[in-house]
Amino acid sequence: MKAFVVIGAWVLAAFAGLGRLTRFAGTALLRLVQPPWYPAQWLQQMLVIGWLSLPVVGLTAIFTGSALAQQIFIGGSRFNAAATVPAVTVIGVVRELGPVLGGLMVAGRVASAMAAELGTMRVTEQIDALVTLRTDPFRWLVAPRILAAVLVMPFLVLVSNALGVMGGWLLATQRLGFNSAQYLATTARYLEADDVISSLVKAGVFGFFIALMGCYHGYHSGGGAAGVGKATTNAVVSSFILILLANLVITVIVFGS
Amino acid sequence: MSGPRIELAGVAKRFGSRQVLAGVDLAVMPGESMVIIGGSGTGKSVTLKIILGLIAPDAGSILVDGQAVVGLKGAALDAHRARFGMLFQGGALFDSLPVWRNVSFALAGSTDERRAAAIANLALVGLGAEVADLRPSELSGGMQKRVALARAIAARPPIIFFDEPTAGLDPITAAVINDLIRKLTTDLKITAVTITHDMHSVRTVADRVAMLHGGVIIWQGPLASLDGCDNPYVRQFITGSAVGPITVPGAR
Repeated sequence: MKAFVVIGAWVLAAFAGLGRLTRFAGTALLRLVQPPWYPAQWLQQMLVIGWLSLPVVGLTAIFTGSALAQQIFIGGSRFNAAATVPAVTVIGVVRELGPVLGGLMVAGRVASAMAAELGTMRVTEQIDALVTLRTDPFRWLVAPRILAAVLVMPFLVLVSNALGVMGGWLLATQRLGFNSAQYLATTARYLEADDVISSLVKAGVFGFFIALMGCYHGYHSGGGAAGVGKATTNAVVSSFILILLANLVITVIVFGS
Repeated sequence: MSGPRIELAGVAKRFGSRQVLAGVDLAVMPGESMVIIGGSGTGKSVTLKIILGLIAPDAGSILVDGQAVVGLKGAALDAHRARFGMLFQGGALFDSLPVWRNVSFALAGSTDERRAAAIANLALVGLGAEVADLRPSELSGGMQKRVALARAIAARPPIIFFDEPTAGLDPITAAVINDLIRKLTTDLKITAVTITHDMHSVRTVADRVAMLHGGVIIWQGPLASLDGCDNPYVRQFITGSAVGPITVPGAR
């Protein structure tokens, strides 16, 4: 009987949490379509999320693309399919590794920073101060971050895809003996519009979850430094899980049939 | 205006199992400087936040300039908050903005106009234009309090709340802040509510004093009657004695 009570309490808490999150997201999205807007905040967030994430996303893509090409070459050689390196690399990078690893790297950098910043603003009463100065924190803090992340993530993933493919090309031509022109021609032949579109859709969805988790956990942070630390951890973990889950769902929907 | 500017009746608030406010009754007259004293955790800050509409009370009514506050939403709540300035305990300055943008945050106008207004308000609290472009993290605690004070008065609200204005400051800086609050409330004809533990603040800033204990106002009266008060709770608080009816958890 006690087990049912515990499970029931857990389920109720989970639904209550989901309800709070949905309400939070709904409020933020509503503020995006209602004036007043703060374009300077949007631009600043685009710079912070997009421009400043480029190095980490770019390096991740180059290293992963190179490693992927190496693995495909080794694996493919076992059944005389080493020539598939350019095709499988471009499909693997654009459909999966570019958006997913780009999303995870941005989540690690941005969701944690958002949660820490908003959490600190919460515990130092800066969010209360915003309200007393008649500024809606959702308009000033949350909506610009969500909009910026959704708009900027596709560009980051485009860069990630390009650098991932370039990493594979570099390794294949410099180490594995592939002809450069043939490699690029094969890459272009096997890259389809659906691959790129699904990649960009994933990026936008991942951007939404990254900003939503960072803002939600930071906004509801409490309990001083420990509370801010917990909010930061929760933001990163939950955005990782949501990115991986959303990736699976989008992949099954787009490519499952 | 003849009636109170702020009037609380039976205001109650519970957080979980803890009854923080259990029926606060308080009236603050226009132009009056009311100081609320009381121990830590007695609900002084909660009282201010309830009046501001940052926290919803469980029971009771709040009138500001005769208008009911509880349940206000949207534009009506914004209009209510426009009557207030607030000096938060830690200053609550926005780290990401320079000083002048903090001070002019709620002001309208062009960038030049807002910057000029910020510098004028900084001058009122004894700070020069040279701090305008600094970040809050580059200022001392006392300077941060002054900037927060400049922000609180910048829009010339008719009512200002001061939450522990001297907390964490050395005695001299605290005295400067107290004098500033007294001068500004008098010069700008502001209705002020200050919450503090600091008896120097009370004696400098207050026209009237109220003591919050056990979730209710247990005594209130003019500053002049504070020292002659025979309420044992008030006596213990103003003398800072460890012996008396107020007990601190964990103290022997």
